[in-house]
Amino acid sequence: MAKSFAVISRRVLMAGLGVAAFAATPAHAQNDPIRVGFPIVMSGAGAQFGLPVLTGAQMHADEVNRAGGVLGRKIEIIPRDTKLRPDEAVRVARELIVRERVHFLVGTFSSAEAPAVSEIAKENKTFFIAPVAATDRLTAPDALHPYVFRVAKNTTNEGRSAAEIVAKWPIKRIATIGPDYAYGQDTIASFVAHLRKLRPDVEIVDQQWPKLNEPDYTPFLTAQMARKPDAVVSALCCGNFDTLAKQAKPLGYFEAIGHRMLALGEAGSVETTKSLGKDYPFGIWGNAYDAFYWEAGPAHRAYTERLRTFSKDAEPSSWPVQGYIAMQFLVEAVRKAGTTNSEKVSAALKDLTVAAPHGPLTMRAKDQQANRGQVYGVASKDERYPFAVLNPIQYVDPVKFMD
Amino acid sequence: MSTSALLNQAFGGVTMASYLALTAIGLSLIFGVVRVLNFAHGSFYMVGAYLAYELSRWFGPSDAGFWAGALVVACVVAALGAVIERLVLRHLYGKDELFQLLFTYGLVLIFSDGVKAIWGVEQVSVARPPALAGRFEWAGAVFPAYGLFISLISVAIVLGLWFVIQRTRVGRIIRAAATDREMIDALGVNVAWLYTGVFAAGCFLAGLGGALVAPVTAIGLGMDAEMIIAAFIAVVIGGMGSFWGTLLGALIYGQVLAFGILFIPEFSLFAVFALMAVVLIVRPHGLLGSREAVRV
Repeated sequence: MAKSFAVISRRVLMAGLGVAAFAATPAHAQNDPIRVGFPIVMSGAGAQFGLPVLTGAQMHADEVNRAGGVLGRKIEIIPRDTKLRPDEAVRVARELIVRERVHFLVGTFSSAEAPAVSEIAKENKTFFIAPVAATDRLTAPDALHPYVFRVAKNTTNEGRSAAEIVAKWPIKRIATIGPDYAYGQDTIASFVAHLRKLRPDVEIVDQQWPKLNEPDYTPFLTAQMARKPDAVVSALCCGNFDTLAKQAKPLGYFEAIGHRMLALGEAGSVETTKSLGKDYPFGIWGNAYDAFYWEAGPAHRAYTERLRTFSKDAEPSSWPVQGYIAMQFLVEAVRKAGTTNSEKVSAALKDLTVAAPHGPLTMRAKDQQANRGQVYGVASKDERYPFAVLNPIQYVDPVKFMD
Repeated sequence: MSTSALLNQAFGGVTMASYLALTAIGLSLIFGVVRVLNFAHGSFYMVGAYLAYELSRWFGPSDAGFWAGALVVACVVAALGAVIERLVLRHLYGKDELFQLLFTYGLVLIFSDGVKAIWGVEQVSVARPPALAGRFEWAGAVFPAYGLFISLISVAIVLGLWFVIQRTRVGRIIRAAATDREMIDALGVNVAWLYTGVFAAGCFLAGLGGALVAPVTAIGLGMDAEMIIAAFIAVVIGGMGSFWGTLLGALIYGQVLAFGILFIPEFSLFAVFALMAVVLIVRPHGLLGSREAVRV
């Protein structure tokens, strides 16, 4: 009798404990932080651009948390290293969703990583914002789904912005040089198509396609010089542009084209001008997402000051602004939706406008892409800094040529 | 197409050829004497380039620093090659070539991961020595000084090697060892140390090639694969074990690539491989090669 009582008693105890445990750990309690998974390249190649993007996001999360959080909850960013590889990006994205139970995903850097993670977002119905990836494929009609958004430029509006600038130059012959893969091909193609519309009199005399991360640009440069272009548009990004600039110098390439080059792919960003220092080809045009020396109004100045303090760098990077803006959109959408449910947040994000540091930005409903432009300017010397700054500098708003 | 443009492109091809020849000669030497197809030759080249980068960070840009550094780097890579040969490679001589191929391929993977672990994944660069940073102009074409200098050095190295192999006692022994190893062994020459020496010499040239090409290329992972493929093409076209053949093969490679980029840009690389295939079909031993081991 006593034994069976003990058994029943133990069972009741176990059951009671089980119910209590179940009740005490709900999936997302009301005051738990809002968890944002951040897959980004944090090591090796690309880290010098990926880490600043994370910094920008963390800065905005910090600001929001200090002001009381979102819906009374703090934002927690959980970064993971993608090593700039799509397969690794997919793996960490899944891990963030399944093991870390994040509510949202913000991140990826390359145009190969973003579409891969977009698939994971779709599969798990988790809201995802890409702050940097430019490929049109991400928001193309056949790839679009309710859970993917982009705050970066895309190759179409970058190419067209370039054409708008080049159309004003007094030239007759133009050449292009770009890395032989999706980003290079798409950007140059949209540049050429738009330039033909604006200036049908300009002739495309040469197109060079060195492979990505080509170590020796010399034969491409001499071949291009042989065709005697008046100007060149380049889509070489980051380290590749550094290599080109160094190898072009002894050939007299920039002199041969009168320094009439427009270097896309953020060749005007603070990182690139710093890394080339006095070897930077002063006089060419470059673009960037942001520049700390750009006078763009009180909100931008305030943002730059906060960035200086947060990143402990008096001459901060051009890339944090993208992480920052992505978080701005996320936070505003969650506030508007009043919930962390991905579907409701996605719906709230469409046509939402935020006050980005340089001005208002809207997330278009039709292609889930923000109307993000970039700054363009001429690389000039400045006594204040040992590196080139874009001066004159202008923001090119892509709204008029986004379909 | 103006003359100056053609001159520019041709000179670009010549400099490309000399950068390649520096390293490919070492490959040819090792194959000619030791009879090993050193798949890891491009990796020794890559290590040379990264070591040159490391030294340039310590010493800064200076003429003396650059040349001394290049010699130091070449010696270090030669020592590395000697150690590897002594410890492992010598046990594979006379065995199935597959083992040698697998071993040297394993070296490629080890070196690649080692370089990645030490220097990371980003491309790095080295500046030219200040004395050679300028350029000459002639007939409207531009000739970078550094390229000219390296072309001269390549020719000098081939001449030097030719002299050593053909006109000195050491060279005679090397040629004999390449022809009949057992006989030279019976005559009292320490063949094992000879092979180590030749392998180390080949690696010296690879390391020197890496250090001297460092200022004009982007140093990054993948440069080992690019170099070994280009070196094989040069050696196959020119003839295995023939130094002048390797120089000729490198020259052909450089010119075909340079003018390919100018006239048939989509097919420039294809043209080089197609040429190699044609040579293999028509003259399997290469243009200047023959069945003999070390010829010059």
